[in-house]
Amino acid sequence: MVEVTGPPPVPAIETVSLTKFYDGTTVRALDGVELSVARGEYVAITGPSGCGKSTLLHLIAALDNPTSGTVRVNGRDLRTIASGTRFRREEIGLVFQLHNLLPRLSAQANVEIAMIGAHTSRRQRVTRARELLAAVELQGMESRRPPQLSGGERQRVAIARALANEPQILLADEPTGNLDSASVTTVIALFERLRAEAGMTILLVTHDPVVARAAHRIVHMRDGKVTDPDAGTVVFDTRGAAPGP
Amino acid sequence: MTFFGLIVRNVMAKRARSVGLALAVALAVMTVVALTVVGDGLQSSAAAILKVGKADFTVAQKGVSDILFSSIDETQVKRIRRTDGVAGTVGVLIETEKIDAANPLFLEIGIPPGDLAAFGVTVVAGRPFTADAAHEMMIGWRAAQNLGIHVGSRFHANGTWNSVVGIYSTGVSFGDLGAMFPLPAVQAYNRVPGSVTLVFVKTAKGVSISSVEKRLNYDNPELTTIRTAAQFGRADRNLVFIRAAALGSTILAIIVGAVVVGNTMLLSLFERTREFGLLRAVGWARTRVVTLVLGEGLILAVVGAALGVGFSYGVTSLLEALPQLRGILHSEYTLTAFWRGLYTGLGMTVLGTLYPALRAAFLAPLQALSHE
Repeated sequence: MVEVTGPPPVPAIETVSLTKFYDGTTVRALDGVELSVARGEYVAITGPSGCGKSTLLHLIAALDNPTSGTVRVNGRDLRTIASGTRFRREEIGLVFQLHNLLPRLSAQANVEIAMIGAHTSRRQRVTRARELLAAVELQGMESRRPPQLSGGERQRVAIARALANEPQILLADEPTGNLDSASVTTVIALFERLRAEAGMTILLVTHDPVVARAAHRIVHMRDGKVTDPDAGTVVFDTRGAAPGP
Repeated sequence: MTFFGLIVRNVMAKRARSVGLALAVALAVMTVVALTVVGDGLQSSAAAILKVGKADFTVAQKGVSDILFSSIDETQVKRIRRTDGVAGTVGVLIETEKIDAANPLFLEIGIPPGDLAAFGVTVVAGRPFTADAAHEMMIGWRAAQNLGIHVGSRFHANGTWNSVVGIYSTGVSFGDLGAMFPLPAVQAYNRVPGSVTLVFVKTAKGVSISSVEKRLNYDNPELTTIRTAAQFGRADRNLVFIRAAALGSTILAIIVGAVVVGNTMLLSLFERTREFGLLRAVGWARTRVVTLVLGEGLILAVVGAALGVGFSYGVTSLLEALPQLRGILHSEYTLTAFWRGLYTGLGMTVLGTLYPALRAAFLAPLQALSHE
């Protein structure tokens, strides 16, 4: 029997010596972060407040520029991309701790808003937003506005919005930070389903150990550094298969 | 939801502010349109004098403040008549007189009876006045109807009672709302013997009207030829000033309006910083953000312009109804007035919205999202 070996799979997310200083300070928000997240992997980043978790997420989302080092997403160096806006629209979905929904728009319109400008027809936008709201178990609530929804429901609308343009990678910054335990369970289950059914790469930042434990790997950070990137790793096939039982 | 639908929703979301902005645009548009229609009305009334003569062009004194202040002596009229290419001239003295409250500027034309036909006058009742009659006159058929006058009536004008010996028609309503007198009688009453106000010129067949005009303007530098209403400013400086005032008020309205709109839109931008940060974070291009904000401004501009035109109609109607201005102010709603209203509204909102729109587009998403 001949073993066929090919080139190693390209990680979904990779950071090399990633450093970030904020203007006017000598505080290193990130200090030489090395991280690799495989396609289809579900990774939680934990650590104390101010350790650089969110900064790392923002650099991966091209919402900010690193002081030095490299971020590669699907093998592409973010320094070489022409438009961070287009990159965010086409390749990643973002979920924030504060859902950032527009209060005057319905749940349906809040999901559709991410698709405006993404070359999708109005009919496609409407259909996809309905499907996504159904996927996050909000069918029948399409016309409700954020003030008419609970915290968990709002966050699920925000997740549906993040998935609107069919991203390969979902970046979530404390997505359960303001939710009650029942809503936390729902969101955890939703992320697991997205990874299992859509093979989505999920990188989330959380303080909550319950949420972190649901991920396949937990990355600890302290003082802008990844302390043990492999700690807490569960059995995981980096070629994208779901972890075994 | 469409992109346009989102723009409309954004406008509707802050109704009080949107109404306030639309009203600001409307007031500016109202001022500009009202001045334009009044200016157009004055020009049209003034130009109607030219049409009465049915000539190829009219000659007036150059640069007078009002065309009715033009004064051309009969020697000049003779010189004009002798110019190559001129087939005939009619010199008329035009004055206005207050007949009653409803007719504060009643038109009185002094003309030799021999020139009536050349001037395009048809006597529809009675007879023409005689050349040297001191107290005879004809009245236009519209004026006769309005004032209840017929042949044989007596009419007080030129400081004396006159017998109405005929009723005429010129085919031009402005001319038919006045009266005609023997030229010497009007000259004597106004103490301008030997003078006329305007000379109406007919050119010979086959001759270029422009070349005759050029020659006349060259030979008579103190006079000017007028063929169209647009050329009226050559003789009537008041119209030029009114036009300049309308243009100046348009520019001023655009600048002041842009500052008001810009200030309000900046306040709105400040309140919506998180929203713009989110839009940028979920992948909206800068151009789309600019289009969104400009679109909101354009909707307000169009609504404001429409309201402004409506307001201007109300204001000019009100002014026309004022006893002091009745019969003097005539509003003429031309396409130019509407265009000027529209581009004033658009100009002030585009100028006022552009900077806030660009600021919104260039917000750093992260900072915008953390804005309190």
